[in-house]
This record gives sequence, structure tokens and C-alpha cells, in this order.
Amino acid sequence: MTAETTTPPQVIADVLHGRVAWIFGDDHDIDLMIGVQNIKYTDPEHLHSVCMKAYEDDFTDKVREGDWLVGGRNFGYGHPHYVAMTAMRNEGIVGVVAESFSPGFWRGEVSNGMPLLTVPGISTAVERWDDLEVDWRTATVRVPAKGLELVGQPLNQRTQDMIAAGGRYALLLAEHGRG
Amino acid sequence: MGQTITQKILARVGDRDHVTPGENYPVRPDYMIAYDFPGYTDRFFRQMKEDFGVTKVADPDRYVLFIDHMLTNKNEREAEVHQVTRDWATENGVHFHEGEGIGHQVAAELGYAMPGHFLIHFDGHISSLGAFGALGMGVRRDLLEGWVTGGIHLDVPASTRFHLTGSFAPGVESRDLIHRIISDIGADGVAFQVMEYTGPGAETMALGQRQALCGMAMFAGGVSAIFNPDEMSLEYSRKVAQHDFEPLYSDPDAEYTARYDIDLDALSPQIVMPGSARAANTRDVTEVGGQKIQRAFIGSCASGRIEDIRAAAGVLKGERVAPGVELNVVPTSRRIYEQAESEGLLQTLRDAGAHVVESTCDFCFGYAKPLEAGEACVSTGVLNISGRMGSPDADIYMGSATTVAASALTGRLTDPREVVAP
Repeated sequence: MTAETTTPPQVIADVLHGRVAWIFGDDHDIDLMIGVQNIKYTDPEHLHSVCMKAYEDDFTDKVREGDWLVGGRNFGYGHPHYVAMTAMRNEGIVGVVAESFSPGFWRGEVSNGMPLLTVPGISTAVERWDDLEVDWRTATVRVPAKGLELVGQPLNQRTQDMIAAGGRYALLLAEHGRG
Repeated sequence: MGQTITQKILARVGDRDHVTPGENYPVRPDYMIAYDFPGYTDRFFRQMKEDFGVTKVADPDRYVLFIDHMLTNKNEREAEVHQVTRDWATENGVHFHEGEGIGHQVAAELGYAMPGHFLIHFDGHISSLGAFGALGMGVRRDLLEGWVTGGIHLDVPASTRFHLTGSFAPGVESRDLIHRIISDIGADGVAFQVMEYTGPGAETMALGQRQALCGMAMFAGGVSAIFNPDEMSLEYSRKVAQHDFEPLYSDPDAEYTARYDIDLDALSPQIVMPGSARAANTRDVTEVGGQKIQRAFIGSCASGRIEDIRAAAGVLKGERVAPGVELNVVPTSRRIYEQAESEGLLQTLRDAGAHVVESTCDFCFGYAKPLEAGEACVSTGVLNISGRMGSPDADIYMGSATTVAASALTGRLTDPREVVAP
């Protein structure tokens, strides 16, 4: 059984600032972000060359480090392959705020250390390129320019520890690794 | 307040008297299961050894490994992947099963899914074991936490109750039920919850049908699905049990997020349109009849059980698959294959022109006989996203084994009630 023997490290700030890089609809299948024909690739350059091409030709020129994705209901539905969000992280995306998430996707990517925040109302409250201030521990999203604050479902302590550590693997290493 | 069967199981494996949905704590699964697959098991083996210093697992009896994917290309890469798994299984003394069929089915046949048990896997279709009053949960790469530490942190899920009455009409089965449910409640209708099936309709349902129903829970947003044990499932469990077991049951006053009442008699055959199992993609087969198909597939961890093969053979007995259609039938396990052979079902299917193949996952994920661009396939596989069974430019329609057999017979999507005697 797990026993927490050390304080987990924290590699991500509690409050993050970034822009809305894209707003997806309901039941979004993340594989479409890179194209189904590319889900077996891991080469960063290839992923960069195909990322979001079906949506916008120059998305990868516009997105920058610290940006967020926004989703509708059931974000991540389908059969999510890890590589799509790897491609997004490579482009600088730090997290996703959505109306709700598909559980398998949520578990997989939170485990990868990505804050995935359920914030009802987010998909209609924000517009592309809005500047966000995100307190991921409390699932609070502020849009300073609009004077908006939306509060979603806070993450439980274990999930917070996992994201803070940079993912399940890093947390497991801190707790059970050879050191 | 009473507890659901899910709460009781997660309380048992967490050494607690009572648990509440939303709580997060480490539990000790009865079995921690995987099939070997590049990027999962090979990576786990390496990480456990190099990063966590696990050269031999402490409690090998709770580890189960299957080889059921990547069996059909017979190339060097397959051989390498499987040899790594065999070596690790031998070094660690864990349960290891090769050539016996799809693990989610074989786990039932070998008695791992006892009533009241909790099992984890990186693959969410482990939820099919809910047919036996066991709770199976897919945890993706978090399986590593279980394999390294012996336990895994879980959020206790709430449950939604599906109370079933009546029984399936001829030509209708549990694949039609699950897609009807998704159509009615949405692809996130039970997000992060367990689907609990109760009522007289649940008790009439054959075990293979229950497994299919539970195995598809993820497409309604469920983290698992479960039936309370009944005489039918307990009879099976007693036959395959390796140990004593103590069934658990939901209390009459257990709390559910929602309850849906469903009359099985009122269901009709469903088709899921290409793309995904999302609600808007489910259609009554009568709405899409006429769509031509070139490929048909009966198999997978959801379908391909003896009930499915009997249904397909019933449709195709004395008939021929339509010209230009390739029908592949892949029984879910070796035992099912042998039973179907002994009942004469596989010969009936071969005589009808079907290709009958030994059990494997390979057809369902496009590894064996991948679809070509422009082809349309009707499938009992678990997933119909673009590219799942081969070319991203092929279309996959999903339906029950009866619907697939009827469609293979005519060469177009067909309501099985047109070809099945009532």
C-alpha cells in the first residue's frame, strides 16, 4: 500500500496566466487535433507539423507557452491516445478548462500532470485569445478584462498533489522511487 | 443509509466499513491485470526495475498478464514484444496466460472475477467483469501505481441504477441496449459513475450479454458497470472459483445519483454511425438500412461470446454471405471457440462463407486485415472512431452480432428481424 514518506515536489505554480488558444465543442475527440492517421507518431517535429492542421493552418504559429484549451461537455470522448495532448504540450498548452471531461481522458492526462478543470459555463463565457488567470487547485478561472470569475469543481488533495508533482509518475517516484 | 455494491467492494479493498462517493484513498485490488502492449507493459517492466528497484514483485498472486493483442502478423516485432512479457512473468512468478483468448473474457473463465472482487487494468473494458458481481476498473497508466505499491488511489464513484424489466425480443440484444442508453442519456450520461443494472430484466439476461453491456460502460461516461450476483452468475462463479468468495449486494436503501427504468421488450436493433458512439450517432437500424458494406466483423471483448456466435449461426444457417462481403468471426476465447465448434456453429458459419479465426484482439483495432480506404464495415468491435480498424478513410458501423450477421447476408445494413424468425 502507498505510504507518503516525503513531501511531493511542486513543479507548477498554483496560479497560471495564459490565453484561450482554442475553444472546442462537446464530445471532442482529441485525436482529431493531430489527425487519426498520426496517433502512432511520437516525433515532436512530426507532431508539430500536423498539430491542429484540420482546424487552422497556422495554429502552431499563434499558440504560445502557457496557453489553455477550452472545451465543451465530455471533452476527450472517444478513445483518447496520449500523443494528441503530448503534441499540445509541445506547443506550450498547459491545461484544459471544460464544461466536463470524459473520465478515461481525464484520468490519463491528470496522471500526466496536466490540470484539467471542470468549470461549468466556461465554453460560452470566454472567447479565443482571452487572457485567463487560472487557480487550478480551486478550479477558479478569472478573465480580468471581462471582470469574470468562474469557479468549478475543486480537485481533491491527491489529484492536486499529482499535478503539483508534475504527474503520477513524478509523485510515485517521490514517494516510492529509489531516490 | 445503505450502500451500493460498488461502495461495499471499495470499502472491502480499502479496509473500511463504509465509503462515500467522492472519497479518495488507496485500495488494494484483488487482481491487477494487463495485456502486453508496446508503450504499456514493456515500459512498466523497465520503470519498475530501473526507477523503483522492483526486481521481483512482492505479491505475485495479484498480478495477471495476458497475451491477446498482436498475434496475427507473426513477425519479429510481435515475437520481441511477447518475449519480454514472458520473461518478466517468469521472473516475477505472476499469473500469465497466452493463447487462451481475450483477457477480459479469460479473466472470467479462470475465476479471477469473483463476486465482490475488485480488479484494475489499464484498459477500461475490464468493466465487463461486472457481469459477475465483480468491479473492474480501467485506470490507464495509473496501473503502474498498483504494480509498484500494491495499492492504488481511487475516487469512490457514485452509481446510477438502470432497472430493467421484460426481456430482449428476437434479434435484439445488449449491444442494442447500451447504445439506446447512450442515445437517451448522452455519452456523458453517467460520467465518473458506475452503471448498476438491476431488476427482472437483468436477471433474464445471459451472462455473455451482461459482459457486453458492462464492457461498454465507458461510452456512456461510466467508470464501470455491475450486476448484483444472482443465481445465474453465482452458478458460473462457483464453477470457476479458485478461492472461496463472499458475494456483495446493494442494500435496498442504497443511494443512487439517478434511476432509469427500461423495458427490454421495447428495444429495437441499433446501429452506431461511423465516428464514435456519441449519442447523436445511434440510429434505429431501419433508418440506415440499405447502406452497402464490404466487411463484417463479429468478435471483440464485448461481443464474440457463445450467445453471439449462436445468433450469427442462426441467421446464416443454410445461407451464404453476400458476394463482395468478407465476414470475419473471431470467438472471444479459446474455450468459446471450442464450444462453438462442438455445437457445430463454426462449421455453419464457414459453410456460409465466413472466415473463422482463433481468438485475438487484432481485428478490433485494425491490426489484422485492416480496412482499406473507401470500405464500409459493420462490426461488433468496441469502437468505431476513424482509423480504428485500418484506414481513416474507411467507415465503421457498429451493431450486435445478429445485426452484423444479417447485414453480411444481404450486403447492406439490415434489420435482423427481417431475416430472423420471430
